[in-house]
Amino acid sequence: MQAGGIKLTLGVYIALFLTFLYAPLMVLAILSFQIGPEGGPQFPIIEWSTYWYQHLFGLTPPSRIAPLPIKEALFRSLALAIMTMIVSTVLGVSAAQAFRKRFRGQNFVFYLIVLGMMVPGVLVGLGMALVSNELGVARHWWGTAFVLHVVYTFPFAFLVMLAIFNRFDQSVEEAAWSLGVSPARTFRKVTFPLIFPGVLSAMLFAFTLSYDEFSRTLFASGRDLTLPLAIYGTFSVEVHPNVFAFGVLTTLFSFALLSVYAILMMLSMRRAKRIAIQEEA
Amino acid sequence: MSVSATTSETEVMTEPVRKSSNKSVWLITPGVIWMLLFLVAPMLMMVYVSFWTQTTFKITPDLTTKSWVTFFTSETYLNSLWTTIRIWLIVLAATLIVGYPAALFVGLFVKNKTLQTALLVLCVIPFWTSFLIRVLAWRPMLGKEGAINLILMKLHIIQQPIEVLLFSELSVVIGMTQIYCVFMVGPIAFMMGRVDQSIIEAAQDLGAGFWRIFRTINLPLTMPGVVVGAIFVSVMVLGEFATAAALSGRKVNLLGNIIVTQVGSLKWAFAAVVGVVLTVLMGIVVAGLLRVVDLKKEL
Repeated sequence: MQAGGIKLTLGVYIALFLTFLYAPLMVLAILSFQIGPEGGPQFPIIEWSTYWYQHLFGLTPPSRIAPLPIKEALFRSLALAIMTMIVSTVLGVSAAQAFRKRFRGQNFVFYLIVLGMMVPGVLVGLGMALVSNELGVARHWWGTAFVLHVVYTFPFAFLVMLAIFNRFDQSVEEAAWSLGVSPARTFRKVTFPLIFPGVLSAMLFAFTLSYDEFSRTLFASGRDLTLPLAIYGTFSVEVHPNVFAFGVLTTLFSFALLSVYAILMMLSMRRAKRIAIQEEA
Repeated sequence: MSVSATTSETEVMTEPVRKSSNKSVWLITPGVIWMLLFLVAPMLMMVYVSFWTQTTFKITPDLTTKSWVTFFTSETYLNSLWTTIRIWLIVLAATLIVGYPAALFVGLFVKNKTLQTALLVLCVIPFWTSFLIRVLAWRPMLGKEGAINLILMKLHIIQQPIEVLLFSELSVVIGMTQIYCVFMVGPIAFMMGRVDQSIIEAAQDLGAGFWRIFRTINLPLTMPGVVVGAIFVSVMVLGEFATAAALSGRKVNLLGNIIVTQVGSLKWAFAAVVGVVLTVLMGIVVAGLLRVVDLKKEL
C-alpha cells in the first residue's frame, strides 16, 4: 500500500475514533430532552421537552421518580474541590520550589509524591476508613475524604510546577537578591508572576480532579453525599433521564471552567508579552 | 549547567547555601508529612488489618491468617482475581489497538501544528467531563433498545437486537476502552511527534516503504510511549469497580467490586486482604512494564 492510501485510511479511522469517543455523550445529551415522567432513557424520543431539567431543580409536580439529591451535594462538592485546590496547589508549589535545589532523599520524595496519583482510590479509601475506625475519628467529606483528595491532586500540581521551574530563568531572581530584595518579596514580586500560568494549570487540575473524584470519597466521606456519590447511587437502580440531564449540566460546567482557565491564561500571556515589549523599548 | 553553578556557589559561600538547603527542607516537609500520614499510613494499616480476626460484624486485632486462607480457598475470590486479570489484559490490548492508529495519524501524518493540537485536544476533552457520566452514557448506547441496536436494525444488518451488548463482560470492556484509551493515545502521540523527521526522510531516500519505516523506526521509537500509556491504563483498570457496577449488571466482579461489597457488609478484614492482593498485583504489573523499557534512558 502507498503512503497516501494509508494516510486516507488512518484519516477515516480517526473520524471513527472520535465518533467512538463522543457518540455516547451525544446520545446522552439527546435523550436528556425526552418527555417526562413517562418517557424512558431510550429512543425513540416521544416528544422533545425540558421536563427532566425542571425535575432536576424540583420544578415539576412530584412523581414516582425521586429527584436527585443534588442541592446539598453540589455545595459539598464545590467546597471540597476549592479546599483541595488551595491546599494541593500550595503544597505543589512549595514542593517543586524545594526541588530546584538538590537535597538528600530527593528521589525517595519524588516517588513518594507520585505514588499519590498512582494508588487507586479504592485502596487509599479503604485504608483511610480503617485508620479512622481504629482512631475513632468520624468520617466526613471535609475531613478524611478531603485529605485523600489532596493526596490525589497534590502530585499533579507538583508535576506541573516541576515542569514550569525546569524552564525557569533563575537569573531574574538572582538579580533581585543582589539588589537586596528579601527572598519573600522576591518570590511575591518576581518568581510568582513568572510561574503564574503554571499555578493556574495546577489549580485547574486539582479542582477538576477533586470535583469529579468519587472512589476516594466513597469509603472516606461518611453519610453525606458529594455529587459523584449521588450519581454513583443511581448505578444500582433504574436510570431515568434526569441523570442524563444532570450529565449535560455538569459537562457544561466543566467546559465553562475550562473557558475561564483559557481566558485567564490568555490575559496572563498578553501581559507577559506587553512587559517584554516595554523592556525592549 | 545548574550543577556547575551550585558547586561553584558552594566553594565561594558556604553559609548562604546551608541556609537555603534548610529552607528547602521547610518547603518539602509539609508535603512529605501529608503523604506519609494520609497515603503510606493507610496502606500499612490495610496490610495490618488483613491479619485481624473477623467475626460477623466486628474485627478484633488478634492476629490470624484466617482471612488470607479464606481468600485463597474461596472460588468466588479466586474467580474475581482471574476476572480482574482477564479484563485488565483485554482492555490493555483494546486501548493499544484502538489508540495506536489514532496516535500514529496525529503524530505522523498531521503536519499542521494547529490541526495536530486541535485533534489532541479533541481526544482529551472527554477526560474533563465526569467519569461516572461517561460510564453511564454507555447504557442508552448498548441496551437492547439502545442506539447501536436501533441503528443496526434500521440498516437491516441484524434482525434481532443484540442482547449481549449490555450487562455483560463485553459492555465493561467497551466502556473501559473508551474511557481509558485517551491515556494510551497521549503518550504515544507525544513520542511519535519526537521522532526525528530526517531519519524518516533518509529511510525514504534509501527506498524503504511505509511499513518498513514504521516497523524499524516509528514502532521502536514509540515503545516508551506505549509503556507509559500501559502503566496509566493498567493502574486505572486494576483499581476499577464503577464501570463494572454500572455496565455489567453484577455479572462482572472485579477485585474492586469485592472490596466495595465487603466494606458494605462491614467485613473489614476480608476487604483488607483483597486490597493487599490488588496492591501486590499492581506492583508486579508496573514493575514488569518498567522492565520492558528503561524509561529513564529513553525519555
